[in-house]
Amino acid sequence: MTCIKIVVKQVGKRHKRELRLAPHATIADLLRKLDQNRETIVVRRNGKIVVEEERLSDGDLIEILPIVTGG
Amino acid sequence: MLKCTFCGRRAAYNRRYAGVLLCDRCLIKSVEKRFRRAIAEHKLLSPGERVAVAVSGGKDSIAAMHLLVEHCGRKNCELVAITIDEGIKGYRDQSLPIARENARSLGIEHYVVSFKRTFGATLDQIVRRAKARKTELNPCTYCGVMRRSLLNQAARELGADKLATAHNLDDEVQAIMLNYVRADFSRLHRLGPSYPPREGFVPRIKPLREIPEKEVALYALLRGLEVHLAVCPYTGGIHTEIRDFLNQLEANHPNSKFMILRMFDRLKPQLAQIVPEFEMRRCKNCGEPTSANICKSCELLEGLGLERRQKTLISY
Ligand code: SF4
Ligand SMILES: [Zn+2]
Ligand SMILES: [Zn+2]
Repeated sequence: MTCIKIVVKQVGKRHKRELRLAPHATIADLLRKLDQNRETIVVRRNGKIVVEEERLSDGDLIEILPIVTGG
Repeated sequence: MLKCTFCGRRAAYNRRYAGVLLCDRCLIKSVEKRFRRAIAEHKLLSPGERVAVAVSGGKDSIAAMHLLVEHCGRKNCELVAITIDEGIKGYRDQSLPIARENARSLGIEHYVVSFKRTFGATLDQIVRRAKARKTELNPCTYCGVMRRSLLNQAARELGADKLATAHNLDDEVQAIMLNYVRADFSRLHRLGPSYPPREGFVPRIKPLREIPEKEVALYALLRGLEVHLAVCPYTGGIHTEIRDFLNQLEANHPNSKFMILRMFDRLKPQLAQIVPEFEMRRCKNCGEPTSANICKSCELLEGLGLERRQKTLISY
């Protein structure tokens, strides 16, 4: 099985990261890997806000936007 | 691609506690409906009232202001906005212009009240003093107490009938848990969709109380509202631990937050019967309502060798 390659950008952090994931991996799988709780973030996939159950495709750009700000 | 349960468009949100997927439009509609329902169910606003909304520039308060402006338009209410500038460098100085810009674009009068002018010190300075004096109080204690006091006073001076804050479901459930952990009975019993009128206090309303934080964020983002999304440099401590714990609980057991809220709302009438009644007095330093000789803000200031400089906040 070949892996898929995606780019992850965590908004507020400077660097983008490239990650390899198993084919059929979902955004929820990715969040688990990054230790991110879906309650505290919004995910954009190629610019669109999507649900965490969507399957990733090779070449996806995933942006993770923290929404819990305090105050 | 996953589809909206209601209309078949691409889903933007999985509302796991209800077992439905929502697209951008249906999410926006649903949030607006809950907002209206909260106002109707808890009688938060009456036609013709003057409402002050507390706006920091963050997603919750910007969403609240936009929701309120539409509601007030229909119900003939008058809306004014208040921003408390605590003086947090790199945080509030960035959100304040966003609050101002949103108010301007909506045509709402906007008033800014600052810690610096009222207390002679920014929150940053207060935190430094507190550290130097080893008070062991955390920044949020100063920030929260003083901001609440200024908001109430500003709303009162503006002749507001209600003071709306943007507390969402997460904020409210965190406050419930925090008061449990601290066994703070009187604070616990003050939580709820509204706080009844008492002399010197403008009744507070929380129309977003039954909307989860993530849905408020999605509402703001999907509507394309300009919001400030940054983390306050002082977050931390027990507040953050409770928040993380609740988010973990919700992720593993969807609907937990609502259950905690519902349980509290059912207990609340019983609580009222056992909370001691206290007499309202006026703070001898600043004149604000309090149950003691001096109010909590003045007490905190005293502990830092500061005092209140400005008595009146709003000058027309
Ligand atoms: S996190 Fe604490 S210090 Fe920062 S704005 Fe909120 S209450 Fe104030
Ligand atoms: Zn839909
Ligand atoms: Zn006082």
